[in-house]
Amino acid sequence: MRVVIAEDDTLLREGLVLLLASEGIEVAAAVDNADDFLAAVAAERPDAAVVDVRLPPGFTDEGIAAAAAARRERPGLPVLVLSAYVEDSYATELLAGGADGVGYLLKERVGKVEQFLDALHRVVAGGTVMDPEVVSQLMVRRRADDPVRTLTPREREVLALMAEGLANPDIAERLVVTETAVSKHIRNIFAKLGLAQGDAGHRRVLAVLAYLRS
Amino acid sequence: MGRVRVAAGATRRALPFLLRGLVSSAVALVLLIRVLLVAAFTLIGVGWPAIPSTVRAVRRWAGDERRRVAAWTGRPVPAPYPPPIPDDPAIPTRALLAEPATRRDLAWLLVHGLTGLVAGFLAILLPLSVVNAAVVPVYWWAVPSDEPVQSPYPVTSWLGALGMLPLGLGWLVLTLVLVPLLARWQAGAAARLLAPTKDARLSERVTELTATRAAALEAHGAELRRIERDLHDGTQNRLVGVIMHLGIAERALRRDPASALPLLLKAQDQAADALSELRDVVRSIYPPVLAERGLDGALAALAARCAVPCTLRVDGLRRLPAALEAAAYFVVAEALTNTAKHSGADHAGVTVTLRPPAEPGDEEALVIEVRDDGHGGADESGGSGLAGIRRRVAAFDGHTDVTSPPGGPTVVRAVIPCAS
Repeated sequence: MRVVIAEDDTLLREGLVLLLASEGIEVAAAVDNADDFLAAVAAERPDAAVVDVRLPPGFTDEGIAAAAAARRERPGLPVLVLSAYVEDSYATELLAGGADGVGYLLKERVGKVEQFLDALHRVVAGGTVMDPEVVSQLMVRRRADDPVRTLTPREREVLALMAEGLANPDIAERLVVTETAVSKHIRNIFAKLGLAQGDAGHRRVLAVLAYLRS
Repeated sequence: MGRVRVAAGATRRALPFLLRGLVSSAVALVLLIRVLLVAAFTLIGVGWPAIPSTVRAVRRWAGDERRRVAAWTGRPVPAPYPPPIPDDPAIPTRALLAEPATRRDLAWLLVHGLTGLVAGFLAILLPLSVVNAAVVPVYWWAVPSDEPVQSPYPVTSWLGALGMLPLGLGWLVLTLVLVPLLARWQAGAAARLLAPTKDARLSERVTELTATRAAALEAHGAELRRIERDLHDGTQNRLVGVIMHLGIAERALRRDPASALPLLLKAQDQAADALSELRDVVRSIYPPVLAERGLDGALAALAARCAVPCTLRVDGLRRLPAALEAAAYFVVAEALTNTAKHSGADHAGVTVTLRPPAEPGDEEALVIEVRDDGHGGADESGGSGLAGIRRRVAAFDGHTDVTSPPGGPTVVRAVIPCAS
């Protein structure tokens, strides 16, 4: 796998390169601004891009715009956006241009290398990965009569993992339960929220996110 | 006698004023004709584009008049035009015409154009009449008798010539009374019409206060953003770095424990960096030394502490808003750190000046210059020092210039406007 990295902080950029390289992922280019990033995507034709939300010159959300621009140039380019804090609107903006192959994670998730790589692979495979923080941020803003409140704690955990883009076997592994139990939870969740039983993958993530955002 | 002396003094002062008023009213008349022409052309639809330049010409002349009146009365006559500056060509014609000041300027043009001439001529004729009445008895006999002196009656005899003396006295009294009166009236009318009305002064004050309040809020917001950014780009990133390197180390430990050590050391370094950056942020929020000794005292302490011999010159400083002082302190501290670390200089110089506004409507500005005689070639992308300076200065709408040619010298110059 070949990736392009856009991260303006020198030490973090070098860290990311080191991390990916030591996991056998080739870093085709590591740049510190949006323009170089777009040029690198065009020149290197990577399998995925890892982008920091804040890039020069404005240090606000240039990374989101750069990711969107890269995906306009190369439709379907898997992009994993890293951010120092979770902002629901960033997630919305990212997903606006199509949700397959999009990920949005807090920066510190890279510390759990295995899960980070897993997320990267799922994005490359066309999946959608949302940081658990996005989901919990959306969950706390619920009205009293909201069906989300009728979910059991276990079902909420499953919902959050679904939003992260995990498939049933992965959810079962994370929660240390059987896959059958996971399927049962998911059926309950969809029934309680009145969602159509979705298939696996990013469509399920979208359904959950759309529900949570509504 | 005392009253006569006072009147004479007043008349002596009033005469030149009225004579200059004669000239200015002649110009006012010309301008009045121009205004009427432009108005007429505007009525038939072609004069519109000439309006702004005409209004501005009137304003310029009204400005001269304000100065003339202020010089004579000793009381300034403030201009009533609202900011932005009246010469700004961007002000649309309609807004220009809607300003009450424009109408009052025109009223002054009319009044002064018509009365200034009369007052000016009186200021010439009355004293001349006095002089004439005084000298007629001396020369009337030299004038041919078929064309006798006619002021105001034909003087054809010594008796008639002697009659000139009470007449001259009359002229003199009239001069002493009327000339100062005319000057006072002219100055008063101009001051009333050309100065802002009380309402306008109040509303101008309100506008001003609103603007300063907005600027203060803006500076506060800028400071919050700066702190957030420092925390985000510094401390937070360093901590992410720690976590990342610990993560890589963890993977390495499983595969090849020996390769984990450098990663752990790196994580440790970054944790130390995070701590020191956090300390810097805390210090940068407001260095205690500023509160204790003010900006000049704090700068003196910085200069004294600098590893490179450093001279400091401050000019015109007074207490400034805390956020501004903190920014100036930060700029100098950071620039001197750069000098000490990278420049190889033998000497550094710091100049901090409070620059008065270059022209009305401008703002005061704090100009900070740090120069060293080192080898130059400062790299902005290398450390975060220069970038930090730029960011901090930009937060106050200021700008930073760095010149550092190879071979030196390096000059960091920051200009921060002070909304006062």
